[in-house]
Amino acid sequence: MTSPRTRTIVVTGAGGVGKTTLSAAMAIVAADEGARSLVLTVDPARRLADALGVGPLGNEPVEVSGHPGLWAAMLDVTASWESVIHHYAEPDVADRLLENPFFRAIADRFPAAQAFAASEEMAQLIESGVWDVLIVDTPPSGGGIDFFLAPRRTGDLVGGKLLLWLTGARLPARRALYRITARPMLRLADTVLGGPLLEEIAEFLLDLRTMYDGLRTRARTIERHLRRAATIVVTTSDPTPLREARRFFEELTDVEVIPELVLFNRALPAEWVTAADRPIRGVPDAELRSVLKMNLRRWGAEAARQQAARREFSNRYRVDPATVPWLPTPPATMAELGALVRQSARLVDLVRRGI
Amino acid sequence: MFDKRLLIVSGKGGVGKSAVAGAIAIEAARRGLQVLAMGLTDPVGIAGHLAAPHARYEPLQVRPGISLVVIDRARALDEYLKLQLRVPKMAPTGQLTRALNLLVDTAPGVREIISIGKPVYEVWKDRWDLVVVDAPALGQLRSYLRAPETIAGLVPAGAVREQAASIGRTIADPAVAGLVLVTTPAELPVVETLESLHDLEVDAPIEVTRIIANRVLDPLDVERDRLAQVPDGPARSAALLHLDMVEDQHRWLARLPAGIRLPFLFGTLTPEEVAARLSEELGAER
Repeated sequence: MTSPRTRTIVVTGAGGVGKTTLSAAMAIVAADEGARSLVLTVDPARRLADALGVGPLGNEPVEVSGHPGLWAAMLDVTASWESVIHHYAEPDVADRLLENPFFRAIADRFPAAQAFAASEEMAQLIESGVWDVLIVDTPPSGGGIDFFLAPRRTGDLVGGKLLLWLTGARLPARRALYRITARPMLRLADTVLGGPLLEEIAEFLLDLRTMYDGLRTRARTIERHLRRAATIVVTTSDPTPLREARRFFEELTDVEVIPELVLFNRALPAEWVTAADRPIRGVPDAELRSVLKMNLRRWGAEAARQQAARREFSNRYRVDPATVPWLPTPPATMAELGALVRQSARLVDLVRRGI
Repeated sequence: MFDKRLLIVSGKGGVGKSAVAGAIAIEAARRGLQVLAMGLTDPVGIAGHLAAPHARYEPLQVRPGISLVVIDRARALDEYLKLQLRVPKMAPTGQLTRALNLLVDTAPGVREIISIGKPVYEVWKDRWDLVVVDAPALGQLRSYLRAPETIAGLVPAGAVREQAASIGRTIADPAVAGLVLVTTPAELPVVETLESLHDLEVDAPIEVTRIIANRVLDPLDVERDRLAQVPDGPARSAALLHLDMVEDQHRWLARLPAGIRLPFLFGTLTPEEVAARLSEELGAER
C-alpha cells in the first residue's frame, strides 16, 4: 500500500517564516535533479503562484509549465475532509455529517481539522506511489506542530472521553440519546442554552464515532508516514517563530518525530557583526563614509542579535542549524527560487538524498 | 484611538501585534488613563511586553495606570456561568462544567464568545478608561468577532443568546470599541490585512480604528549610484540590502490605507524595551 520510493520532506514552522517559498524552492531543486517532484502547499502568496506559473490549485496535482518533473498542489481542506468522511462513514451517516452545521464549523475552524486534512492528503500522495520527491508545506496552526499531532487528536476527538461519558461505554442506539438530556445536570445545561443544543451535539458526535475505528487505524498509518519523512523546521531569529520552533524539541517526543534540520531563514551575514566595528576603507567621501558606517552599525547589531539567537537555540537543543540568507524581496522566478535553496549546501543535500 | 473604551489589537502572526498592544497600553497610561491590558489567547505576548511574568486571571496592577489580565479558559467559563448567565451555585457543578466543556469544544462560537466576552464585561464594569486586548492573529480573529452572530444562528433563545447579542452590540458600537490592525510592510502581511479589511467591510462586526505598519525602515541618505564607488564588502552589502528593503516596503506601504507607522528596531532588545520604544512613537496620536 505504501511506496518506499517516495522521499517525503515535511517543511514546518510558524506562519510567516517563509515555509511555502522554501518548499516550492526545494521541489524545484529536486525536479532539476531529475526527480518527479510534487510540492503540496497550503496557501501560496500570489507572487509565488505566479513564479510557479500555476493558476488556481487544488488537491489534484498540476504540472508546472515549462518545468518538466515539477508538480504543485494546494490543500483543499473541505475536499479532503469530504473524502475522509466518504471513505470511513456509512453513506447515510456521511450525508448527515456533511450537512451538519457542527461538522462544517469544526472543519472550518478546528485547527486540527485543517492539519488532519493536510496529513491525510500527504498520506494519499505517498501511497499513490507516483512521486520520487514530495515536499509538504504544513498549515501554520500551532506553529506547524498541529500537523504532527493531528492524526492522534482527530482520533481523540472522535473517540473522546467526553463522548464516552455522555453516551456511555457502548455505542448507544440513536433513540438512547433521548435519555441523555434526561440527566438533571444536562437538563440544566440545556435550559441555559435555551434549546436542544446538547442533544444535537450528541447526535453529531455519535455519527462521528461510527468512524472511530477507521480513523484510528488511519491515524496510525499517517503517523508511520510522518516518522519516515524528513522534517525541516523553518524559523527566523525573531522571538515568536523561535518560541514555536522550540516546541518541536519539547512537545513532539511522544510522536517520535525528530527534526532532521533546523533552518534559520532571513539570516544576515555573520561577518557583519565584527565588520561593524572596523573602519570603512576605500571610501574617500567622509559624508558617505559616515552614512555607511551608521547603517552597518545597526545592521551589524541585527546580525549579532540573530547570531545570539541561533547560538542559544543550538546550545539548548544540540542542533547545528543551517541558514538561508535574508533577501530584500522574496524570490520571484524559478531561477531565484532554486538559487535560494542552493545557498545552503545542507539543504541541497537533504533534497538530493532521496534521489 | 485613545478615546475608545475597548481596543482590540490583531494582525498576521509574527508582525509584532503583542508589542504594539503593549505600546498602546503604555502610551494610554502615560496620558493618565486607567488601562486594563489583556491577553486573549497568548499567555506570554502582552504580559512579556509589560514585563509581568506572573499574569493572572484577576487584574493585577503591573505599573502605574496599567493592570493586566491573562484569560484562563476554565476561569472564564466559570465567570461566564455565574456572573453573566446567573447560573445559581449548585452541587455538584462538576457535571455541568463537563457538559459545558464539551459544548465549548464542539459548538461553534462558544469558546470564542467566552474569550471575547471577558474584555467586554470589563468595559461594562466601568472600572477602566481603556481596555486593550492582545487578540488572536487575523486568521482566527473573524471567528471571535463573529461569535455573537454564530451563537444567534445556533441557539434559538435563552440567556446565552441574549448575552451574546449584548456582547455583539458593544463590539459593534464605534463610540466604544475599535479594531487596531497591525501589519508589516511586506507582501503576505499586507495582502492578508487587505483581505481582512475587505471581509470586515462585508460583515462589519467592528470599526477598524487604526492600521499600524510596524517595522518600517527609515530611508537611507545615499543614492544607489553612489554605492558604485564603494568597494565590495559588508558596508556596501548592508547599504544595498537597506535600499532594496526600503524600496520593497515602500511598494507594500503604498497599498495600505493611511495609518500609523512604527519603526524597525535594530539589535537586541528585551520585549519590555520594544514596547517602551514603540509607545514613544505613539505620542503624537489622538
